[in-house]
Amino acid sequence: MLFTERSIWTMIHGIGLGGTALMALAAVLFAMYLMRRSHLRATEGEDVSGPVAALMWFTAAALWLTALVGTYIVFPPYRAAAPEGTTLLAQYPRTMLLADPETAWLHTFAMETKEHLPWIAAMLATAVAFAAWRYRSEFFRDPRIYRMATILTVICLAAVAYVSLLGVFINKVAPLE
Amino acid sequence: MAMHGPTDRTAAGPRSREHANGVAVAAFLAAGIGSLAMGLFVVLNEADIYSAPSLYGPAGGVSGRTTFAVIVWLIAWALLHFRMRGRQFDSRRYYLIALVLTGLGILMTYPPLWELL
Repeated sequence: MLFTERSIWTMIHGIGLGGTALMALAAVLFAMYLMRRSHLRATEGEDVSGPVAALMWFTAAALWLTALVGTYIVFPPYRAAAPEGTTLLAQYPRTMLLADPETAWLHTFAMETKEHLPWIAAMLATAVAFAAWRYRSEFFRDPRIYRMATILTVICLAAVAYVSLLGVFINKVAPLE
Repeated sequence: MAMHGPTDRTAAGPRSREHANGVAVAAFLAAGIGSLAMGLFVVLNEADIYSAPSLYGPAGGVSGRTTFAVIVWLIAWALLHFRMRGRQFDSRRYYLIALVLTGLGILMTYPPLWELL
């Protein structure tokens, strides 16, 4: 078999869901910028605040799924303890990383960060999606709501990009196979 | 946090109630509270003060910490939402608080910080 089940779940988590969330967050920021500009210029046209709010809900859903799949499906085999006397550690990524001082940081720093930060990103994205859905076009007209939502979305994007990069590092050295 | 001061809240009429910023303020504040809760559960665990129980054995303690933080977030959101909806607030202060809480929460999930404990 070309890919193991564990490997497929890692790809679903990192590339499928995490990658989707990352791209969707960038799309949300761009859509927010365009919507705000069109409201400032009072441009006539169809109100697309509904679809933009839907995009934000989609982004939040992708982030929640990424966090859930990461925590409950990908993380357990990663942290599984190697049986006593095992010398081939490829099946036990956490043990393998910690066994070498040069790679230990990939667990103590990278994975420890990845365990919690995505959940914060999911909460922030949900708050922004809810506000966009609740206020529709007013979301882009009210400068304070818009600014706060933009800041939270930028924080979200930065956090997701950061943990994604850490995930790439971990998977490069100790992939779940 | 005084939410009843005249500068914090204004009575909103039937039409403006729909556009009053209370719902957004509640959502953003709750997100900040949820972030802080996440950070606190992590720091308390690292300092061996309180460890959230593991809710799913194979995932370990992270399952408890994240679930508890999400529960705190949802409860805070529900309480704030029903208390603030339909009201107009001086949002700048509340958004600043939400950002500080979010920042603290993120900071507390930063592993090098745990070594200072």
